[in-house]
Formats: sequence, C-alpha cells, structure tokens
Amino acid sequence: MTDTRPGRPDDERTLIQSVSRAARILKALGSDTSRLGVTELAARLDLKKATVYGLLRTLEAHQLVEQDVETGKYRLGPALLQLGNAYLDNHELRARSLLWAESLATRAGEAVHVGVLTGRSVLIVHHVFRPDDSVQILEVGASIPWHACALGKAIVAHLGPGEQRELLAEPLSKLTGRTLTDPAAFGRELGRVRREGLATERQEAIVGEAGIAAPLFGARGVVVGAIGVSGPVEHLLPDGPPAATVTAVKEVARGLSRELGGGRSAPSLGA
Amino acid sequence: MDAACVRRWLDDVAAGVRAERDHLTQLDAAIGDADHGVNMNRGFTVAMAKVAALDGATPGQLVTVVGRTLISTVGGAAGPLYGTAFLQAGEALGRSETFGPERLLQALEAALAGIQGIGAASEGDKTMVDALAPAVAAFDAELRSANGSLESAVGRASAAATEGMRATIPMQARKGRASYLGPRSVGHQDPGATSTALILDALAQVVLGGGASAGKVQAAPPRRR
Repeated sequence: MTDTRPGRPDDERTLIQSVSRAARILKALGSDTSRLGVTELAARLDLKKATVYGLLRTLEAHQLVEQDVETGKYRLGPALLQLGNAYLDNHELRARSLLWAESLATRAGEAVHVGVLTGRSVLIVHHVFRPDDSVQILEVGASIPWHACALGKAIVAHLGPGEQRELLAEPLSKLTGRTLTDPAAFGRELGRVRREGLATERQEAIVGEAGIAAPLFGARGVVVGAIGVSGPVEHLLPDGPPAATVTAVKEVARGLSRELGGGRSAPSLGA
Repeated sequence: MDAACVRRWLDDVAAGVRAERDHLTQLDAAIGDADHGVNMNRGFTVAMAKVAALDGATPGQLVTVVGRTLISTVGGAAGPLYGTAFLQAGEALGRSETFGPERLLQALEAALAGIQGIGAASEGDKTMVDALAPAVAAFDAELRSANGSLESAVGRASAAATEGMRATIPMQARKGRASYLGPRSVGHQDPGATSTALILDALAQVVLGGGASAGKVQAAPPRRR
C-alpha cells in the first residue's frame, strides 16, 4: 500500500521518516477499520511493533490518537477534529462559497455541494441542505470518488492532459451499476464536460441520485474546485438537465470564480 | 404456492412496512435521509391498491405490478432497488398459476441479481444485499439438503436474512449515502437490510402459517427502544 497521490511526486528520501510513519498510522486509523491494535498496525504498515508503539505514544501525547480503555486498541483522537475544523474554517474556497452556495440552493431548490479534488476523491468542503423540511445529514468532510460525481468530473475535465491521464490510469471503482468505469468512455465524457462547462452524473454514485456541477476557477484560470446541485434523479435529470437549473449552476459558478480571481479566464478552454 | 398465497404475502409485507414505518425511518435517520419507512409505506400502500384491483392475476403478474409501482412511487435508492427486485422476481415466476420451491428460488435469485445490477453492492457493503444474499444462499442450500422442503427453505431464508440484517450493525457502509459517513456509519443497522428481512419474514410466515395476516411480521426487525 502506498499513500503517494497523483500530483505529489515527493521523493521519500527528502521526507522525515518518522513523520511519514506517524502520518501513515493516522491514515490507517482513519480508513475502514477504525480501531487497530499495535500488532495489527505494525503488520499493516510493515513496521516493527516497538516503532509503532513509540509513534502511537507520541501521537497520544498530542491527542492525535487515543487508546480504547477496554480493548487497548487505538483510534483517532480528538485533536484531529479541531484540526479538521480549522482546515475547513481556513479553506478559502469554502469561506468564499458560503453565500453563493446558499443562493444556488434557493434558486434550484436542491442541495448544494462545493468540493475540491484531493488525490482521487472530491472532498466536500461545503454543503447546503435542500431547502425543504426534510431530514438531511451534513456531508461536509465526505470524500466521493472523483469519477462518480458531477463535481469530480467538472474539476478533472479542466485539469491538464497529464493529470487526467494519471487519474484515468488507475481502475475506476464501481459504486453503482451506472458508474462509468471504462477509461476510454470516460475520456470522451471529460471532453464533453469541458466543451459544455457543465458536468452531470446520473445514479453513478448513489442509486436514485443525480448531480449537476460546474467548475470553479482561481487566479490564472486554474480550476480550484466545483460547485453543484444534487438530488433525486427524477427531479434533477428527468431527461436532460432542466435549463433553469443549468443556468443557475453556471451563473453561480461564474460569479464565484470571478470572486476567486478566475473570472476572465474561466470561460476559456485554457489551451 | 398460488396467487392467493402471494396476495397474503404482499398484504403481510405492506402491513409490516406500515407497522415498522417509524422504526425504518429512525434507522435511516442515523445514516441516511430519514425517509426509508415513509417511502416504503407510501409505495406499498399504492401497490396494494393496484394488487387488489387485479382480478385473476397470476403470481408473476402480482409481483410485477408491485415492482412497477415501487419504481414510480418510492423515492431515493429504495424505489429503483426494490422495484427492480420485484420486477425481476415477477418475470422469473413466469405466467403459471402456481409455482414450487425451485421456481421461488429462481425468483429470489433474480431479485438479488436485479439489485446487484443496479447497486453494484456485495455482501459486507452494509446494504440490503447483506440480508438478501445469505437468504438466497440458505434457501438454496436447504432445498438441496435431504429433508429440504418449501417450508424449511423459507424458514432458513428468513432466519438468514434476519441474521444478515443484524450483521450490518458493525459494518462500515461502502455503498450509498451512508458511505459518505465513513466510520460514523458503524454501529447502526442498515435500514435496507432491515426492510429486506421484513419482506422475507413475511414470506416465511405466510408459507409456514398460511393463515391470517395481522400481527405476524413483528418478529422480523428487533425493536430497539
């Protein structure tokens, strides 16, 4: 298991080994098995038990991990929540998108998400609930595979060809029966998204749900994220996307891009 | 089994969904949109009205009309998933007036294949597949065993579904909206697996008990608090 990510070609030799190992421990504890013992962690990360134990003790002193009293296993600690919140609070895109997202949710009558690409996933940095009285769960902090959501398609379609190739080179996981997983077909889909400046997703991440998103550009026309609406497929994409929703998504994305410094270059295809 | 038996089963499912509406919604509130019970109840209420109006229909036609109704009336993921499951099962039941355990097995398998085709979920993903897949396997295994019968097979299938439903509690969701919660989805029973267990329990009750429909489905989901 490697944790290097596309666009981060850091040479392992220039990194501080113990910090890397501590980071790998945190990531392991943040993955699907949320509680792990020293032995399991050592096996997973291919490290000596004594090394893992020392790292865990240090992380525990900083409240980055904590030990379960009953089982003796380790899990992520409370300091990470503070760091996570601080990350979101300081996230420029999130801060700038608050009002725009609110207005898009009102205009479209659907839930709005703002996301950025981290590795191979879209990290949701802001979420406005669908403006009705239904119960909804806050999805800020959620990670969605980039290829299964409109936000991810909108972002990746506006990356350089090299970055796109890298993302398409690894297998695209199947989240539903409708997830696009064929790299060649996906290349065509990205071309279409780039031409239209708009991405759609139809039951590709969650059965019954759809999304419509447009890219957000920062200074020098670099894509920095995406904003979009999502909701029941029968509302959002009965056949094609409803014109009013498309207009709302595009206008809000353009307005927010302007505020982020990417206004003028946004509509260009950035040769 | 004949059309009358299938009607009793569908009645029991509808009654069970009505009785468990709040429980299903409450389960869904923890890891989803808090609408599973309400949606399923609406869907089965409409479906049962259509079933009641279908005179002289074959078992396959009854199950098919339920599927079609669920697709058009139940929102979220449950509509397409359950709708497809019933449609596929209805097709597998064919046009005959009665059917036996082998045909029922084919219908269950078709339902599972339909759900997996749409949702791409495997066992362990914390979905309705975690209740249905073990139920189909148990039904199959029991039918192949020396003393296997329709009665024993549906009994085993229902027990396996309930066990599979309970097994979703410690799982971390890997499909659907619940997967966005990551580790926070652990510790909650999956609402889809719960409604699937209810449907199979109703099937077992009808086959084993044969009689009146009220009050039998209560055994299906454990009523917490």
